[in-house]
Amino acid sequence: MRARRLLIAVAAAFSAVALLALSGLAFGHGELLSILISGSVGSTFALEGTLLKSVPLLLTGLSVAIAFRAGVWNIGGEGQFLAGALGAFLGARYGMIAALAASLIAGALWASIASALRLWRNAPEVLTTILLNFIAIHLLGYAVNGPLQEASGKYPQSDLASASLPAIGELHAGIALAIVAAIAAWFLLYRTAEGLRLRASGFNRSAAKWAGVNVDAQLVRAMAISGSMAGLAGGIELLGVTHRLFERFAAGYGYAGIAVALLAQLHPLGTIASAFFFGALTTGAGELQRTAGISSTVATFGQAIVILIMIALTRRKTA
Amino acid sequence: MRLSHITKRFGANVAVDDVSLDFAPGEIVGLVGENGAGKTTLMSIAAGELVADDGTIEDRVAVGVVHQHFLLVSEFTIAENLALSFRAADAPVGAEDGEESPAGSRPPAVSAGDSSPRFAPPGLRRLGMTSPATVRRNAEEIIRESGIELRDVNRRVADLSVGEKAKLELIKAIARHPRVLILDEPTSVLAPTEARELFDVMRRLAAAGTTVIFISHKIPEVLEVATRIVVMRRGRIVVDGGTMSATELAEAMVQRRSDVRRSDSPVRPLVNTPRHLNSGPGSAGRTGESDLRIAGLSIHPGEIVAIIGVAGNGQSELAVSLRESLRGRVAHIPEDRARDGLVAEMTIAENIALAERRWRPRAAAERAAALIERFNIRAQSPLQRAGSLSGGNQQKVILARELERHPEIIVAAEPTRGLDIEATRFVHDELRAAAARGAAILLITSDLDEAFALGGAIHVIYRGMLSPRLTPDEAAVRAPQLMAGVG
Repeated sequence: MRARRLLIAVAAAFSAVALLALSGLAFGHGELLSILISGSVGSTFALEGTLLKSVPLLLTGLSVAIAFRAGVWNIGGEGQFLAGALGAFLGARYGMIAALAASLIAGALWASIASALRLWRNAPEVLTTILLNFIAIHLLGYAVNGPLQEASGKYPQSDLASASLPAIGELHAGIALAIVAAIAAWFLLYRTAEGLRLRASGFNRSAAKWAGVNVDAQLVRAMAISGSMAGLAGGIELLGVTHRLFERFAAGYGYAGIAVALLAQLHPLGTIASAFFFGALTTGAGELQRTAGISSTVATFGQAIVILIMIALTRRKTA
Repeated sequence: MRLSHITKRFGANVAVDDVSLDFAPGEIVGLVGENGAGKTTLMSIAAGELVADDGTIEDRVAVGVVHQHFLLVSEFTIAENLALSFRAADAPVGAEDGEESPAGSRPPAVSAGDSSPRFAPPGLRRLGMTSPATVRRNAEEIIRESGIELRDVNRRVADLSVGEKAKLELIKAIARHPRVLILDEPTSVLAPTEARELFDVMRRLAAAGTTVIFISHKIPEVLEVATRIVVMRRGRIVVDGGTMSATELAEAMVQRRSDVRRSDSPVRPLVNTPRHLNSGPGSAGRTGESDLRIAGLSIHPGEIVAIIGVAGNGQSELAVSLRESLRGRVAHIPEDRARDGLVAEMTIAENIALAERRWRPRAAAERAAALIERFNIRAQSPLQRAGSLSGGNQQKVILARELERHPEIIVAAEPTRGLDIEATRFVHDELRAAAARGAAILLITSDLDEAFALGGAIHVIYRGMLSPRLTPDEAAVRAPQLMAGVG
C-alpha cells in the first residue's frame, strides 16, 4: 500500500519531467533537460538556490497537507503567506524570535477568518480562503505604498526588516526550521490523539461526530495550524531571503503548496521530498530562462502536470 | 398483469422471496409493510427497473412509477421539466428501434396518432428544436388532460411547494397513460388536504381502468383509499385481502420473528438515583411530519428502555438530538452504519482509539487485537482497514469501541439491522451485560422482537411523539395501534 503510493508519486514526478523534456525536443530545445538538471542540482550554487526555493514550498505544502487531511479545503496559502510576512516584518523590531512567532500567529489568524465564516454562516472555505488571498495581496500593496514604504519613498517596498535569520552564506536557518516543522506535523497527525481525530474528521465527518469527535473544533484547529505553516513560510522568506516586503512578495508559493502536498499524497514527511522536487524544478526553470531564453513558466507547467497526474492516479471514487 | 414466483436476492439477503401477485384493472392496491419488507423491490421488478433472479411476469403492460424521491430539474420551469421527460416519447417513431429493452422497462412510446405530447412543430422537431411557446402550450395540455390542478407552468420547480412537486411527478407519470401506476410513498411529503386530492386522482384513474398500486406504511391512509390490501413482511406476502381493521393490519405488518428468544435475565430498574434522558419540548430537529417532542423520557441505571415505531416517525432525529445534548460517558450506536459507524479509510485500531484520550499506535493495536478477540470480530489484523470488514463485523467494532467507554448511558439505534442471527444474539447479549453493569440503555428499534426481547419498558414513537411508558405486557396489546396512530 505504502510502496504503491510512493511509486505513484515517483512516477508522476518523472513523467512531468519527461513531458517537459519531450516538449523541449519538439520545439527544438533538446538541451532543456540537461539545463534543468544542471541548473537545479548541478552545482553547489544551483543546489543552494534549490534549497532556498524548497523552504517556502515545504511549509506551504505542509499547510495544505494538514488542512486537506482534516477535510478542510484551505486554498488560501498565498494570503496566509503574506499575512505571515507582514507579521514577521512588524515583529522584527522585537527580534528574530518575535518575528517568527508573529508570522505563525498572523498566518493562523488570517486563516481563522475563513473557519469563523464557515462556522458562523457555513461559508465554504474553498471560496473564502481564495478571496482572503486577494485581500491580503492588496493589503500588502497598500502597506508598501503607504505606512511601511521605505523611508526614501522611492519604490513600493519596505525598508530592510530589523531582524534576520542566522545564515551561512546564502543558506539560512529557515531550512532547519522547515524540516523540524515537517517532523512536527507528522508527529501531530500520526502520533497524537488530536491528529487521529483530525484525520478522522477529514475522512468521514459524520462518523467522527458519532464517535464523539468535536468536528467543529477540529476544523478550527486544522485551519489555524495550516495557516500558521503558510505564515511561517512567509516569515522565513522575509527574514532569510528578501529582507524586505514588496508588492509581488508571495510569487505563487501558496498555490504551489497544493502541488507539493498532492505529490506528497498529503504526508508531511513526503512533503520534504516533494518540496525539494518542485524547488529544483523552479530553480532549474530560472536557469532555462537565463541561458536558453525559455520562459521560466515551464515550472508552472511542471506543477500542473504533476497535479493532473496525481489526481488521475489517486482518485478512483466517483461522486 | 401477473407476477409469479418472483424472487430477488441482494447478496445473502433475500429481498423478495417467491412472491406471486396479479393485478386487475381498476383496483387500488395498498401495498404495506415495514422498511425492508421488499415492497419497493417488488415494485421495481414489476416496473422493469430491476430484473428478478427467479420468476416470470405475464401480460406485461405499460407501468408508470412515481418514485419516493423527486426526479425533477429544480432550475427548470414546470413546462421545461415536462418537455424534458417527454423527449423520448416525442422522438420520431422508429428512432428507438435499436435499443431493445426488457418489456415494460419503460412505458412503450405512445402510438402515433393519439394525443401524445408534441413539443415542437414537425419541422423544428426534426432538427431537435422547439420553441418556448410550444413547450408551454404542450405542458398546459398535458396538465389539463391529467385532471390535476397545477397552475402557471412558467414557475421554476425550485419555487414549488413539495406538494406541487409531487403533483408534477404524478402528471409526468399519468401523461404516459400507464395501465399500472405505482406510487411509492406518495403522501410522505403531502399535507392532509393534498393527500386527499391525490386520493381523488387515484380513484378517478382507477375508475378509468388503471391499476393503482399505492406503497405506504401509513395505515389510516391505506384503509381509506385502497380497495385491496397486500401486506409484505420479510420478502413475502403475508396478507392479501379486501377489508381489514387498523389493528389487524398493524399486527400483520410487524408480526414477531421467532428467532430471537425472550430475555430470561430480566433487568432490574433501580428506583433510586434516576438518571434522566431529557430533551426539552421541541428541542430536537424536525421529522418529516412534525416537530419532535420528546419530554420526560427517563431511564434508570441498569434498565433498557425500547422505543419502537414505524421508521420515519422521528427515531433518527431523536438519536441525533441525544447525541447533541447528552454529556458524560455516553455511547452511541448510530443507525446508519455505513455512513456514521466507522471511518472506513482508517484501521480498526484507529477507529477504536477515536473514543480515547490517548493515541499510541502500538498500544492501540494491542488493545484492538484484544477487543477483536473478545468480540469475536472476523478480522485479519487490527491494522486492517475498517471499511473492508463485513457489515456485522463493522457493527461489532462499533460495539467494542462504544462499550469500552464504560458508558453510563447507551443510545443504540437499530443495533442489529441487517445482522445475521448469531451476530444479533451477540449484540443483544452485550447490551444486556452492559445493563447488568449499570448502564442506562435506550434502544431505538423498528424490530418488535428486539424491543420485547430486551426492553424492560417500551415507548411507541409516532409522528415525533412518544407514547406513555408501557410495560412489555401493555405494549404487546397496545403497540400495534399506537404505531399506526390509531391508539
